[in-house]
Amino acid sequence: MTPAMLLVVGAANLLLVPAFLAGVMRKVKALMQGRTGSPVLQPFFDLAKLWRKGETVSETATWVFTWAPRVFLAANVLVAILVPWSGVALMGGLPYAADYVYVLYLMGLGRFFSLLGALDTGSAFGGLGASREATLSVLVEPIVLLSLGALALQSGSTDLSTLFSGPVTPLVAVLSGFALLIAALGELSRMPVDDPTTHLELTMIHEAMILEYSGRGLAQIEAAVWVRACVFFGLASQALLRAWPGFENLGGLAQYGLGLAGLFLVGGLVAVAEGLLVKLNWRRVPHFLAFGIALGLLSALVAAARG
Amino acid sequence: MELPGGTACWYGMAFALWVVAALLGLVGRRGTRIGLPLLVEAGCLVTLVAAAVGGDCRFALPMPLYLGLAPAAFLADGLSRWFLLLIGLVGAAVVPFAPAYLRHLERRVSLGVLWAALAGLMASMCLVVMAANAVVFLVAWEAMALTSFALVASDHERRSVRQAALVYLCATRVGTGFLMAGFLWLHQITGSWVFSQWSVSGAQALGPCLLILVGLATKAGCWPFHLWLPVAHPAAPAPVSALMSGVMIKTAIYAMARLFLLGPLSVPLMGPLLLVLGAISALWGVLFALLQHDLKRLLAYHSVENIGLILMGLGLAGVGTSLGSPLLRDGGLAAALFHTLNHGVFKSLLFLGAGAVETGAHTRDIEQLGGLAKRMPWTAACFIAGSAAICALPPLNGFASEWVLYQGFFALARTGPSVVTRLSGLLLMAWLGVIGALALGCFVKAVGVVFLGRPRSHEAAHAHEAAASMRAPQVLLALCCVVLGLLAPVVVSHLASVVRPAGQVGSAGLLWNLPLLPLAVALVLGVLAVAGLVTAGSRRPRERYITWECGFGELGAQTQYTAASFAQPILRLFGRVYSYSLEVAIEGADHRHFPESVVVTTGHEPYLETRVYRPLLRLVQRGAGGLLMRLQAGSIHQYLLYMIVALGLLLWLGARP
Repeated sequence: MTPAMLLVVGAANLLLVPAFLAGVMRKVKALMQGRTGSPVLQPFFDLAKLWRKGETVSETATWVFTWAPRVFLAANVLVAILVPWSGVALMGGLPYAADYVYVLYLMGLGRFFSLLGALDTGSAFGGLGASREATLSVLVEPIVLLSLGALALQSGSTDLSTLFSGPVTPLVAVLSGFALLIAALGELSRMPVDDPTTHLELTMIHEAMILEYSGRGLAQIEAAVWVRACVFFGLASQALLRAWPGFENLGGLAQYGLGLAGLFLVGGLVAVAEGLLVKLNWRRVPHFLAFGIALGLLSALVAAARG
Repeated sequence: MELPGGTACWYGMAFALWVVAALLGLVGRRGTRIGLPLLVEAGCLVTLVAAAVGGDCRFALPMPLYLGLAPAAFLADGLSRWFLLLIGLVGAAVVPFAPAYLRHLERRVSLGVLWAALAGLMASMCLVVMAANAVVFLVAWEAMALTSFALVASDHERRSVRQAALVYLCATRVGTGFLMAGFLWLHQITGSWVFSQWSVSGAQALGPCLLILVGLATKAGCWPFHLWLPVAHPAAPAPVSALMSGVMIKTAIYAMARLFLLGPLSVPLMGPLLLVLGAISALWGVLFALLQHDLKRLLAYHSVENIGLILMGLGLAGVGTSLGSPLLRDGGLAAALFHTLNHGVFKSLLFLGAGAVETGAHTRDIEQLGGLAKRMPWTAACFIAGSAAICALPPLNGFASEWVLYQGFFALARTGPSVVTRLSGLLLMAWLGVIGALALGCFVKAVGVVFLGRPRSHEAAHAHEAAASMRAPQVLLALCCVVLGLLAPVVVSHLASVVRPAGQVGSAGLLWNLPLLPLAVALVLGVLAVAGLVTAGSRRPRERYITWECGFGELGAQTQYTAASFAQPILRLFGRVYSYSLEVAIEGADHRHFPESVVVTTGHEPYLETRVYRPLLRLVQRGAGGLLMRLQAGSIHQYLLYMIVALGLLLWLGARP
């Protein structure tokens, strides 16, 4: 693709796909539960609605509460610009920019502020959610680093654009892909780690953190979460696509199309799984994420043995 | 560049300023608010300028000032200047903070002595990193240990401080003992005291190097020799903790780099050993930091963590040397040295923040604090910046140095000759990730519980912002965090020239390829764009109301999450490491539905202390107890006899051909 085309496609990608993916996932989940569900475009409507609404802010809150969603959103959008989650990266022209260590820590910056925002109101729910989110990230971080590290070892670069353009051993691709998928479920607080639709506060993780947000503040967080979901599911689907050796030889547009299809497939499958699975007891979540760590370790081992 | 009057003169001038300050502090009681701080500050600034601008220099004191065995010779090359820069920078930032902070100690602490010790500490730290031979090094090392001991003990009317000072003193004695034994052994082998002439390798070098390593690891606070650190730091006044944690423990890092990696000593085992020690230290430090409720103790455990990260860098360099890979060697050293400076900057910033909280809210117990961001906005903002830096969040300096470390481990994974080295490269990256996530959790806990939410005590509710002279150093250090992060490419290329062995022209490929500056600009613009978007055309109501309380009416501050409950899920996750226990006792006739009392008891067994150190100490006590009692019987005649015997022995030793 030409740079101009890349820019247009990338921008459209970034503006439309995240909310659309969220809508598709909601729809699939509703169908799994025998409901008609809201329209696929509902997330866009939600965003517009929240944007128009007023805000209620706790008297305890400080500037951290106001600025946390801004940093959270900006960091996640920057991540989405750097990472080729659909096969194209908006900033593909900036060499070495999509370094995955940088990307992870940029997400860490977003997480840091979102956790502080949750604690800022002095609400017990915020504390509960923040504490659990911090714990989850301890388990998710090694999965992502191991599985992306295994892929990076094969291409010889930590830059995600380079990483996803070289040949990959199919076994490494499959192992890393599934490890990333498990990491995504943990990082995005989805079933079976957390139930994104629950409103029983004691079981919530992510929803407890954002309980105090309303109006535009909530809109920013929602948008950031959708963008982050795209990045994580996209990384997993990109890795899984590499398991097919012929993928390398396809043209740019075909790769992009397949990438988008893979992204939606992964999202749809996650939604199907959410219809079938039950939420795990919080104490059992580490056991589930340990599978991801094990897959990541295996992937790293295979990559190191081949390298 | 040669400074006017010669660079050596500048170092001499700084030293003279500190000596004058120390003497004045010891003699008089006046000038502790302005005069002495100004003198010490001037010394720091002179050192900073000389280290930053001046070139390499070496000089020796004239003959009469020889130290008996070796000339009093000094050397300021690239490595020394890097550490002098750290000493000057952190010193210059911390000293202005001290006078206002120390005001609340005026009644209990003799400030003249404190300033004298502080000046002595600065001077001796500079001498340590400039010492050209082992004798000068040891003398300066001892001066550093004693002055820092005096500083830790400055509030000695409190029993806990006396105990902490004693623990610290013991640790320094043990450390120096090992160090001295190692130095003597090497002198025995080589017949020289000069570091650059200690070319020993193989099995012969292993024994002395291990001894030296133990000595240095004790000073650095590396696992399992870190016990003194979380005891001494909370006891010392905040600026002293900042200097000790930010700078003083780094002199051990300097010595490791000088002796094991840049010197002629070659011990192939050292690289993996440092790597393992560093990896354990880093995880151990951050895990135990999560457990702490004393803000300064928490920060002290983070020093253990960061020393671990630095040692991992040094270990990588050692592995690179034995694999013959200049990329790994230079990358590891650059990461270690860069992180040394960065940690000095953000850790002193955080300690100053803790000091400001201590003076503002009169407690360091984070469970008693809360909501300080409203009462102490400057301190809160600076503390958040420092927290972000220590959690290695981009674009701050902590991220920059950890990124170099990540790249080093990736290079190990990519170029390693065997499956084991390649896999360990990847595993070490994941290990760093776990540590990073834990550190983030820990600092979210610290910031959230101390500065956000509602005040948990009367003191916290009536806290006041620190004086301007205490705020300015924090702002300065926070700016340093940003600048060092953005200037990372420059710093890394400078470090590449520092760590390059003499004679080698270009080292293969140590480069910084991450466009951190454009990305940082993009991030800031992004945040501002979002902020603009959010506030644009907003005529919608923004209501202030109480925090959601499920309809019960406004709840007290006790309903907030505490630091202990915040950390609990992580503690449970790593329960084995802590030997963590949690018991819940619910009482009442119908305790399932209407409990009358719920008591949650958590505990952990500090098994390193109880199972390793305490039996060891008891053994020493038992062995030495009787002997000591007989030696020190309290009879002056006996002591006079010792003196005469010792004198005779020395004369006899000296007179031997």
